Amino acid sequence: MTDRVERQLEIDAAPQAVWSAVTGDGWLAEEVTLELHPGGEARFRSDGVERRGWVEEARPPGRLAFWWAAGEEPATRVELTIEPRADVGCRLRIVETRPLELLDLVGTPLPGAGGRSFGPALVAA
Amino acid sequence: MASRDASASPTVGSSDAAGAVFGALADPTRRALLTTIAARPAVTATELAVDLPITRQAVIKHLSALADAGLLDREREGREVHYSVTPAPLSDAVSWMAEVGGQWDERLAALKGQLGGR
Repeated sequence: MTDRVERQLEIDAAPQAVWSAVTGDGWLAEEVTLELHPGGEARFRSDGVERRGWVEEARPPGRLAFWWAAGEEPATRVELTIEPRADVGCRLRIVETRPLELLDLVGTPLPGAGGRSFGPALVAA
Repeated sequence: MASRDASASPTVGSSDAAGAVFGALADPTRRALLTTIAARPAVTATELAVDLPITRQAVIKHLSALADAGLLDREREGREVHYSVTPAPLSDAVSWMAEVGGQWDERLAALKGQLGGR
């Protein structure tokens, strides 16, 4: 089973503007570091709490998938999709999942820091 | 589904109980209520309505939906009913979804304010 949260928002702005806003500082966290390539480092800091993870896929300005976790919490996967609309603006869709069966598979939560090397292997499995 | 034990009840996600849970959680007000009740145990509808832009009657309707799905316990005390979050097997998944969903709602509201949603 996978726990899943899904949201979407229609925005009166170009996909590039939305991409800049959602990947820059101040939206996912106060301070955001995203290496926009598969396996790239992802760091998010808000209110002194840091989440770490890695980038699974980055295709500006339409798609970003990454994993994040704070401390020893299980990592979760976030997928952002930005689709241009026929008229004006675009639709931002967010899916955050907590894939418990993958955690069961390895018997341990995906670590945030230091463990990102076996994240991609889990996705492939 | 809340269980991390792969051998425990793998079909629970497709059961009627789980369907009722996710149906009850489809509404953002109910998710917000559940998060609030989790933080303030044994709260009444009157107390909850104070912080919300909806009537006490509307709050009671939402609370009934949550209780019917097995997410809340009701305990009558005098004229008031006190609500608390059920320590159900699904509560881990439920509290995760309520918390994470609430965080995305806040981010999306901020983005809407910044870029102009519709």
